[in-house]
Amino acid sequence: MKAMLMIGLMAWLAGATHAEARMRVVATVSNMGMLAREVGGNAVRVNVLSPPNRDAHYLEARPSMMARLRRADLVVSVGAELEVGWLPAAIQGANNRRVQPGQPGYFEAARKVELLRDDKPADRALGDVHPQGNPHLYLDPERMAQVALALATRMGELDADNADMFRRNAEAFAAQVAERMPAWRKRVRGAPGALAYHSDMDYLLNTLGVPVLGHIEPLPGIPPTAAHLRALVKKHAGGRGVIWSVNFHPAQAGEFMARELGWPAHRLPSQIAIAGDAQAYFNMIEAWVATLESSVADTK
Amino acid sequence: MKHLQWIMLSTFAVLYGAMAQEPRTQPGDRGPLDPPPYRMRAAQLAGTRGSLTTGTEFNPAISAILDFTYAHSTKDVDDPPGFELGGHHHGHGHGHDHGHGLGEGFQLREVELTFTGTVDPYFDALVMLGFTDHDVEIEEAYILTRMLPAGLRLKLGKFFSDVGYINKQHMHDWLFADAPWMREHMFGDHGLNEIGLQLSWLAPTDTYLRLGAEILQGESEGVANYIGPGRHQIVTILPDGDNAPQRNRWRASNGLAEEDGPRLFTGFAKWAPDMVGSSHAFQLGAFGGYSRAFQLDETHSSGRLETWDGDAWFAGADLVYKYDGQGAMGHRNFTLQAEYMYRQLDLDYRSQQFTDFSTLAVTDFNKQRWKQDGLYVQSVYGFAPRWNAGLRLDVLGLTNKGFEGRGTPEDFGTSYRYTGQLSYAPTEFSRIRLQAGYTELAEDDHNGHDHDHETWTVALQFNVSLGVHGAHAF
Repeated sequence: MKAMLMIGLMAWLAGATHAEARMRVVATVSNMGMLAREVGGNAVRVNVLSPPNRDAHYLEARPSMMARLRRADLVVSVGAELEVGWLPAAIQGANNRRVQPGQPGYFEAARKVELLRDDKPADRALGDVHPQGNPHLYLDPERMAQVALALATRMGELDADNADMFRRNAEAFAAQVAERMPAWRKRVRGAPGALAYHSDMDYLLNTLGVPVLGHIEPLPGIPPTAAHLRALVKKHAGGRGVIWSVNFHPAQAGEFMARELGWPAHRLPSQIAIAGDAQAYFNMIEAWVATLESSVADTK
Repeated sequence: MKHLQWIMLSTFAVLYGAMAQEPRTQPGDRGPLDPPPYRMRAAQLAGTRGSLTTGTEFNPAISAILDFTYAHSTKDVDDPPGFELGGHHHGHGHGHDHGHGLGEGFQLREVELTFTGTVDPYFDALVMLGFTDHDVEIEEAYILTRMLPAGLRLKLGKFFSDVGYINKQHMHDWLFADAPWMREHMFGDHGLNEIGLQLSWLAPTDTYLRLGAEILQGESEGVANYIGPGRHQIVTILPDGDNAPQRNRWRASNGLAEEDGPRLFTGFAKWAPDMVGSSHAFQLGAFGGYSRAFQLDETHSSGRLETWDGDAWFAGADLVYKYDGQGAMGHRNFTLQAEYMYRQLDLDYRSQQFTDFSTLAVTDFNKQRWKQDGLYVQSVYGFAPRWNAGLRLDVLGLTNKGFEGRGTPEDFGTSYRYTGQLSYAPTEFSRIRLQAGYTELAEDDHNGHDHDHETWTVALQFNVSLGVHGAHAF
C-alpha cells in the first residue's frame, strides 16, 4: 500500500502546479534563443540550454535541461540532428507532453528552410554526417529571417492573443536582415574564399557568395589528420584566402595551416551570448564579414 | 494486498483517460464503426508538425551492439563470502552461466539488438534483445507514455529499475568492462531487471527533482528471489530382496509459501541543482524497496532439502558528478560516481528430510536475519582526445552478518576489489578497453574448504555500436 500512497501523493503534487502568463520557451542554442526573444517580445520567457562556447553536437543530456523542459511551452531547436545526441533524451526525461516532437510545442528550424547538402552518401564511414543536410543554418541571416516568420506562426498558434505581435516582430527582424545583407555582400565581393574548420561556416559563405575552399576536418566530426592537412597545403599553396574556425574548435590545425599558407587565421564565436539580442547576432556576423573584407583588400 | 491489482488497474485507467483526452489533431467526423485512426494520425503528424530529432528517417531506430572480451584471472575465486546465498545462489562451479561477468578467455558476452521509436503520439517504445551464444533474452521491452499530464510518466513492461544510478545502465554504458559488485551481488547478475510498471513525476521547478515508484513482479535474485510452492523429488535405485535394482521415487511438497506477484515495490528520488548551461552536473539519489517474498532452496543428493523463505528490503543512495571538459572527443571530461546499498533478508530456514516416500519432515528450523551492504566509488578522466582512464573501488560486506535464531551474529567479513581501466574510443561508436583488477575476498573459514581469496584479473574489451543508437539519458 505504500506504493499506492506514494502514487497518490505524486498525483496531488502534480495537480498543484500552475501556469505562468508568459510563454515559456526553451531554446537549444543561444542564436535560437535570440530569435525566440526577438519574435516573442514580452510575451515570452526564454531559457537557453547550450552554453555559447560549446559545440552543440557534443552535449549530453543533463538533469538541469530536463528541469527546464519540464515547464516549457515551446522548444526551439535547430534540428537536422544537430542536437540528436542529447535533446531527445532530455525531452523524454522532462515528462512534458507539450514539447514532444509532433506537438505544437516542438519547433525545429531545419524543417522550415532548405538545407545545404553535400552529395556524399549518408554513411558513418564518412564521419558524423547528417542525412537531412547541414544543420548549421543559424549562421545564415536570411534563413534565420525565414525561421523567424515560421516561429511567429507557431507562437501564434500557442498564444493567439499575441499572434499579430509575433508576426510584426518577425517581419521587423527580417527587415533588419534585408537591410544589412546587400552591404555585407558588397564588402566581401571578390574575396578569395575561406578554409573552414568544420562545415558550420558553409551557410554564411554561401549566402555571402564567397567560395568554401575546403574544410580542415577530413570528414565532419573527425579531427584533422596530417595527410589531410598536407593535401590542403598542397592544394592551396600560392593561393589566397582566410582560415576560419569557431572558438570551440581546436586551434592548432588552423594555426598550422596559417603558417604553411601564410593566410590570416580567425577564430570567432558562432553563437552569441546567452542573453544576446538581434544586434549581438548582427555584430557576430559583422565580425566574420570583416575578416573576409580584409582579405578582399589583400588581393587588390 | 489483494486489492492492489484493482487499485493499480483503476489508477492506470484514470491516467490513461486523462492522457487520451488530449489528442492534438482531432480526426474529422467518424462513424462508430470506423477503424481507430492512430496510425494515420501518427503519419500525419510526422508530415505536418515536422517532429524529429529522434532517429528521424529510421523509425524505429535500430542498433546492434557487440561486446567482445578476453579475460584472464590468475586464480579461481568464489563469490565474496556471505554473498553466495543471496547473490549468485547455486553459483557452484565456475564458468559464466549467462551473467554479464568476465569469463576466462575469449567471450562474446552479448550482441544487443535495440529497437526504439515513437509508437504513436501517445507512446514511445523500446525493445532490447540480448543474444548470447546459447540463448536470447529480452533485456528490456517497455512502453513509455508521452502524453500524461502534470509531469507524470508511466513505464510499462520489462525494464531495469530506476533505483540507484548504475542499475538502469546497459553493459555498453558502463565505464568499466564489468559491473560494480554492488549491482552484481546485491541485486543479482542482471541487476534489478523486472516486469512491472513505474510511475515517475518530475517537479515543476528549475531544480531537478524526480520521484518515482515501481510495482514489480519480483524475481531478481539478490532481493526478490522467488521459487514458490513445488515438488521436491529424488529417485533412488536400491537393491530389492533379490538384489535386483529397484526404483523408488520420493516426492513431497517443498513447503515454500505461495506469493502471487507483484511482490517487489520500490521507490526512488533524484535531485540535481540548477546548473543549466554549466560545464558541471551533479545528481543525488536515494532509493529503497521491499519484497514480499525472498526464497531460496538447495537440494542435496541425500534427499535433504534446505529452504529459506521470508522477505527482504533494501535502501541506498547514489551520487554522480560530471564535468564536461569542453575538449575534443571527451578530452578533460571527468566523472565521479558512487553508490551505497544495504539489504536485509528475514528468512525462515528449514532443513527437511524424507521420512517416507511422500513426507518431508523438518529436521532443523531457525529464523535468520541477514544484514549486508555494498558500495563502489569510481572515477574516469579523459586525459587526451579519445582516451580515458579510470579507477574503481568495490567494497562488499562492510556489514555482512547472518543471525541464526537468537544467536550471536556470524560475520562473513569485508571483500575488496580494485580496478583500473584505460579506454580508447576512435569515435563514439567504437571503443577498446584494457582493464586490470585485484580482488581481495574476505577469508572464508565457514566453508571449511580452503579456497584462494586473492586474484589478479586482466581484461580486454572491444565494444562497437552499429546503427542508430538513441541519446543517453543522464
